Amino acid sequence: MDDTPVSTPAPLLELERVSRLYGHGDAAVAALKEVSLRIMPGDFMSIMGPSGSGKSTMLGLLGCLDVPSTGVIRVGGVDVTELDDDRRSRVRGDRIGFVFQQFHLIPHLDAASNVETALLYRGIRAKDRRARSLAALDQVGLAHRHDHRPVQLSGGEQQRVALARALVTEPSIVLGDEPTGALDSKNAEHVMEIFASLQAPERAIVLVTHDPAVGEAAQRRVRMRDGEIVADERVDAA
Amino acid sequence: MSWARDLIGVAVNGLLARKVRTALLLLGPVIGVAAIVAAVGLTDSAKGDLKRKVDELGTNLIEATAASSFGGQDAKLPKDAVERALTVTTVESVSAVLELQNIVVTPYEEAAENFETVPVPVLAADTVLPLVLDVPMVSGRWLNDFDDGVSSRAAVIGIGLARQFDVLPGEVRSLLLNGIEYSIVGIVDTVELEPAFDTAVFVTFPRAADDFLTDDALDGDVVLANKLYVRSVENREDETAEALKVAVNLGGPNEVQTELKSEALELAAQSDRQLQLIVVSMGLLAIIVGGIGIANVMSISVIQRSTEIGIRRALGHTRGTIAAQFILEAIAVGFFGGLLGVAVGVGAIFIGVAVAGWVFTLQPMLVPLGVVLAMVISVVAGLYPAARAARLEPLETLRLG
Repeated sequence: MDDTPVSTPAPLLELERVSRLYGHGDAAVAALKEVSLRIMPGDFMSIMGPSGSGKSTMLGLLGCLDVPSTGVIRVGGVDVTELDDDRRSRVRGDRIGFVFQQFHLIPHLDAASNVETALLYRGIRAKDRRARSLAALDQVGLAHRHDHRPVQLSGGEQQRVALARALVTEPSIVLGDEPTGALDSKNAEHVMEIFASLQAPERAIVLVTHDPAVGEAAQRRVRMRDGEIVADERVDAA
Repeated sequence: MSWARDLIGVAVNGLLARKVRTALLLLGPVIGVAAIVAAVGLTDSAKGDLKRKVDELGTNLIEATAASSFGGQDAKLPKDAVERALTVTTVESVSAVLELQNIVVTPYEEAAENFETVPVPVLAADTVLPLVLDVPMVSGRWLNDFDDGVSSRAAVIGIGLARQFDVLPGEVRSLLLNGIEYSIVGIVDTVELEPAFDTAVFVTFPRAADDFLTDDALDGDVVLANKLYVRSVENREDETAEALKVAVNLGGPNEVQTELKSEALELAAQSDRQLQLIVVSMGLLAIIVGGIGIANVMSISVIQRSTEIGIRRALGHTRGTIAAQFILEAIAVGFFGGLLGVAVGVGAIFIGVAVAGWVFTLQPMLVPLGVVLAMVISVVAGLYPAARAARLEPLETLRLG
């Protein structure tokens, strides 16, 4: 028998009994109720649930855009609920990449500059920033459109630029908020193919969606209802 | 350093991406600084013209006039007034004149009716008046010792009168003083400090005595002057003017009043300073209103750019960098608005100077002062929108889910 202990990898992101209340006193509404969740390296996770189930609140907390009313959130082992806004922003910039439903590209910047925005204020030289941005665009198949502004790109292309922006910082977690919600089926399929190709042992991909097609593309499926996780199941890749 | 470079890039991009908004932001500092620079520059240029005039004419010309203590109309100076004036050690030169009364001047007999109602000053003058006044002859010559000696009917006229009477320079002409014909021997140029001389006629004292004066105007056979023009040593004008009052009168029955001829010009320069203050205040008001405009436009811009701010925050930009981005935009607006304002102001001075024929004068300090003022106003105006931008929560602006 092999006695070598099997080391369990540390979670990339961990929610421990996290609640999020809106409002005060009797009028307080719990959007999230003592939720615990561990996002592990290599996870390709979907978080699904009906409207009002707490998906968006969960996404805000996972992305360190919000702080819980109670409970602890650890990113890479660091308790971000204890950090001030500046430090939490840095953790967010370093470890988390966002892809939004509405793409949220900056309209007056071209594709490459939009991607570069994620690399600003990090002491990276402009030349290196541009090289990394072009490499990220290449990864999503848009290097040739680097000098096009969002208005000159189709919806699918804009979402791919947003994906490149999320990837350029080499985050450990990529968070997608209804990433195909604003796309036609062909573009949605293409974007999902890219997400699937981004799976890596050191990275987690988390997609918040109410689209079953997107949710079922993931190997780990978390279901929410009324601010609670009601299911967290793993499905082996086909 | 790299952080600052990134920030400058973001701010510059932000301004260049919205040209109309940036132009609106620039308007305030441009108008305010341009108004201030133009106000100071134009009044300085007008003053520069006056100063040049004063420098040219000298500030050391004093007029000493006989005045009766009892309100008499035709007070006279003592007969040795010139000699007495010269006893004042700070006096350099003296010329005496007598303003003759009730003399009708006409160019020639046939035109008498047209001109007899036009008052033309006629003065008896000595031979050194142009030297003391420092005024050149346009043509001909001034009254000389020969004219004095033989009491010739020679007259010198001012350039303005020469134009009125159509006397051409060098032309042999005469004019009539109370119907008596005098030869015009010269035309004297404009006397800036004594504009009335422009249309005056000058004759010799002996001739004035023979043709127009009664014995009351004489002391023995000497014609009494009623006014002296005195050049004093530079920068001793005030004490010279005071000394002249005593030295010329020497206890006589009449008073002597003195006046510095350049005072009027200097007073004009002072009134310009008041105008300058008013216009500069208006410029300051304009730049403050411009600042309020900047605060308004930037506040609206924060609302319009709230999604962009949310994206940047989601990408890890801190509240500090967001605030700094807006402050830097305000600094850039102030800097370029200030520079543009200075340029517009200088342009306005150039145009004003060209139109009015002044001397271009611009205090060099106005350039940095204008720019710094615009920057300070812009930064103060940008503080509130910047703070507002920094306070925006990404969750509020990105609408997740």
